[in-house]
Amino acid sequence: MTQAQAQSGEIDWEAGLVQRARAGDARAFERIYREHSGRVYGLCLRMTRDVQLAEDCTQETFINAWRALGRFETRSTLGTWLHRIAVNVSLSKRRKSGPVESLPDDDTGAIGDWTLETPVEVREIEAAIDALPDGARDALVLHALYGYSHDEAAQMLGLAEGTCKAQLHRARRLLRDRLGMEVLSA
Amino acid sequence: MKIKSLRDLPQEIAPPRDLWPGIAAHIAPSADAVKASDVAAARPAAGRIVRLRWLAAAAALACLAVGMWIDRSLLPFPGKVEGGALTVSTKGAAGPALDVSYVPDARYQRQRAALLASLQARLNELPPETRTKVLASLATIGKAKEDLERALGKNPGDALLQELLVNTYQDEMRVLIDVHTASNSGEGI
Amino acid sequence: MRTLTTAVLWMSLCVSATAPAAAKTFDREVAADPKGIVDISNVAGAIEVTGWDRNQVSVHGELGEGVERVDVTSEPGHTTIKVVLPNNSGHHDGSAHLKVQIPQGSELDVSAVSADVTATRMQGVQRLQSVSGEVSAELAQANADVKSVSGDVTLRGHGQAAGVHASTVSGDVKIEHAAGDLEVSTVSGDVHGSLDGARSLRVRSTSGNVTFAGKLANGPTVDVESISGELTLKASADGGYAYELTTFSGDIGNCFGEHAERTSQYSPGRALRGTRGNGSGRVHMKSMSGELMLCDK
Repeated sequence: MTQAQAQSGEIDWEAGLVQRARAGDARAFERIYREHSGRVYGLCLRMTRDVQLAEDCTQETFINAWRALGRFETRSTLGTWLHRIAVNVSLSKRRKSGPVESLPDDDTGAIGDWTLETPVEVREIEAAIDALPDGARDALVLHALYGYSHDEAAQMLGLAEGTCKAQLHRARRLLRDRLGMEVLSA
Repeated sequence: MKIKSLRDLPQEIAPPRDLWPGIAAHIAPSADAVKASDVAAARPAAGRIVRLRWLAAAAALACLAVGMWIDRSLLPFPGKVEGGALTVSTKGAAGPALDVSYVPDARYQRQRAALLASLQARLNELPPETRTKVLASLATIGKAKEDLERALGKNPGDALLQELLVNTYQDEMRVLIDVHTASNSGEGI
Repeated sequence: MRTLTTAVLWMSLCVSATAPAAAKTFDREVAADPKGIVDISNVAGAIEVTGWDRNQVSVHGELGEGVERVDVTSEPGHTTIKVVLPNNSGHHDGSAHLKVQIPQGSELDVSAVSADVTATRMQGVQRLQSVSGEVSAELAQANADVKSVSGDVTLRGHGQAAGVHASTVSGDVKIEHAAGDLEVSTVSGDVHGSLDGARSLRVRSTSGNVTFAGKLANGPTVDVESISGELTLKASADGGYAYELTTFSGDIGNCFGEHAERTSQYSPGRALRGTRGNGSGRVHMKSMSGELMLCDK
């Protein structure tokens, strides 16, 4: 590695870690864990709504990621790849808890931004999101919190894009009812 | 704290505890911290071998912490001895001689026996002052276990004592693993 | 006269044989990733690491005559510094005093046997281990995992939340301005700490005394446990906390004017339970025989 490379910041250190982890370097993988555990746990917690399940989900995500490192392609970022695994793990943990609710017919017009009419306490919003039905919450968390596009969120959840949008609309309506204010579109 | 948009919600939430040991236990090499091959194996880069040993130690401890249990249903009334279990007798108890048996799982027992078997050799590799202090700490743990077991003999249902005893077993295991790993530290350097 | 000459000759030979060899020094600088991993290992002597804002690792070593060499290897995102001793270093001085400057965002991994370890101005994750050496580090916002078997551990925080794990067998642990999540385990070392908005505190000791004072975050989780060591917590939290102090045969003290009660009519064991403020946090203290003391001032 040359000094010029280091100084220009061109080195993709994360790609280096993935490469070493693929070769069996658990230490490099631990670094990956330390870097991404917060985002993975955050997603797991919001999807499972249970601390113990979220911890299990986080551990299982990284264990599955370790085993699947050979299949990771750098065209998606590592964080997104880990999120995909986390979504699968969260969904499988929840499948045991009962049938999935069917969606009412809904328009799938523009969702837009997720701005609130007036500022709201974080605790209150988290509670409102927590109270959403599973499908609506999943779509909302992936799209509104983690910034995945409709298409990406739909793929991660194993849904058609239209269904995912419908879930987002539902989430917006339920949040409006719960918070007593509009969740505005752009 | 108030926010104006859902996008301002925190994306990262730190887990309430470090989840890495549980992950490491599943992905670490199957060799546990006490295998001879861990000592005699060919040496890759120095930093890596030290890290792998600490990692294996952490993984072993995580496995033991998960796997170790005390079968409270087998806690005997004073005077009973459970055959085949890890039996520790109290000495010098005020009342009748009490045998208090606990049944840590089989893997814990094997690990502990293996670590104890190599303990003296491991201690000899430590700096002399450290060796003295470690022996004193192990004696402290031994006394703590005796005191707890003696008390449990008289109060078998005491949940606090049971919990403290389980934790003391875990603490002893942590020290044995730390000694094992510490005595190898020089080999990777 | 000949005897005197011979004696002088012998004396000069002895002096030259015992004259210390000139100390070796080592200097090396390599380029480094601003957030790469830096691994440092040394058996004896000292390791002093300082973070800086350059994308370089700079090593300066004062080496004892028993040190064979210092290897510095550099790969993308990973720099390794290793003090190498010959297999039979025998009576020769195998100690090395290393002063290492590394990018402050690096992830630092230090392993020593009897060398003391010091780390300052680091912003990245730190993993510092010594068998008998003392370990001292400044805490930042990244996690820190610090271990010594018999050496003392000293950590200095600045009230930045981080995950900190400190572990010794017999060494003492001292932590200043701890925030975030703190976990400490020791067998016979004493533990002293000041809290500066700590979110969670978990301490396990067998016989070492444990003392913490300061401010907890809102809604804290505190679990402090020992077999025979004394446990003292003098800490407040904005939302208060629910507390439970239980001991088999120790004493329970507090500044709330409350009295501990027997947990059972038929066996020893005492407990003190209550709530301070809104009770939005949790404080549990347990011992077999160690004295427990809780105060929120």
